[in-house]
Amino acid sequence: MKQSDDRGEHADLALDMELMDYADGTLAPEKRAELEARIARDPEAREAVALWRHHDNLIHQAARSADTLPSNLKLEKLERELARKLAQRRVRAALFGPGVRRVAASVVLFAAGWGAHSFVAAPVDGGPAHPYFVGPTLAGHSYYLFGAAQRSDFTGDEIEVALDWMSEQMQRKIESPKLEMLGYRVEGSRVSLIDGQPVAIFYYRSPQDELVTVSMSPHGQSQPGYALQESEIDGSRMAYWTSDDLHYVIITNDAEASLTSLAAAVRP
Amino acid sequence: MSLKSDLHRHVASLRRYALVLTRDAVAADDLVQETLVKAIAKADTFHTGTDLRPWLFRIMHNTHISELRRARTRSDAGMDLPDPIARECQHTELELKQVLGALDQLPEAQRKPIILIALREMSYAEAARALDVPLGTFMSRLGRGREALRKIVQGVGAGKLAVLKRKEGGE
Repeated sequence: MKQSDDRGEHADLALDMELMDYADGTLAPEKRAELEARIARDPEAREAVALWRHHDNLIHQAARSADTLPSNLKLEKLERELARKLAQRRVRAALFGPGVRRVAASVVLFAAGWGAHSFVAAPVDGGPAHPYFVGPTLAGHSYYLFGAAQRSDFTGDEIEVALDWMSEQMQRKIESPKLEMLGYRVEGSRVSLIDGQPVAIFYYRSPQDELVTVSMSPHGQSQPGYALQESEIDGSRMAYWTSDDLHYVIITNDAEASLTSLAAAVRP
Repeated sequence: MSLKSDLHRHVASLRRYALVLTRDAVAADDLVQETLVKAIAKADTFHTGTDLRPWLFRIMHNTHISELRRARTRSDAGMDLPDPIARECQHTELELKQVLGALDQLPEAQRKPIILIALREMSYAEAARALDVPLGTFMSRLGRGREALRKIVQGVGAGKLAVLKRKEGGE
């Protein structure tokens, strides 16, 4: 008896998921032989599969004809804009994710929001004030230290490639921090895009296996410069300063490290 | 694979999907453009670590639904598709027209699963996410849609195709 609803007379074929998988080539190999034997005995199912595939091929062909359309400059521009926004989103998610929030919740800079373009974050709880460019480094440092999902774009072996890439991205010559002179080894490096500005971040390990994070970010002409300052937040020691056209930040958990010596190696 | 190259591939996929949905190259690019504008506006809501493609297709799906609601009726652009990549023979073109015409007769809920799977870029689960429906619902719509398409094409096209095939056979 024919069905009167919109499923039509082949509703059983329409709802046969194995048949659908078979038609789309996604049926598990161990089930294929059994199903092929079944449709060999069922001409209706055989015809259905053949036509589903045929129609699918035709629709696929029609869809692929989009590849022959002329390029569309508007779409290309929007695509670049979306890529930029998503990259920013990715960086923000990494920097402000739960792991970082746990670690850095008490950090003044985060409370003030370094994305707000304030030059100096307002102190909270009587804590020290720091310029906005310290924030990204502290977040990156904490994130790496606590084993979150962030990965360096470059390994320690790729430092030369990384420096070329950073120089290109930041449109100025980026020199290695040269902490190797003090017995540190480079573990990795990356470029993050923070509010559209590239920040070069380097990760080093001390001989005692303590993490040292160094960042360099562009010093805009309208921004204030900073003489070397040392500070401490949540057990992390930091130094930051401005030299020429770059802001520098060093953060470490190494209680023994001399921040002045590290700063001198980073920027002699 | 980098974000930029991933996105570039996805935009090409969106264009393919939009072309079959709208059957018109200009309308297809308009739909992709509107989708990208909305995606840019919603970029801050994207969950990093999740798959970008279903997210973009879901935006296009919703954009297209809004467009259909505004227009009330689907575009009557007819067959304004560029030439197929592989033009095998005359009856392939005719079949293509018939199948796309038949596809237009299906409800949107059945039409979109068929097109998404025909793109061959998403699994059933990903395509279901793109349409924002449970997997079971997606599968039943796909199956019913395919069967409905088969019946429409068989009913409409059997006569014309038979004539063409006979001609090619040397009659």
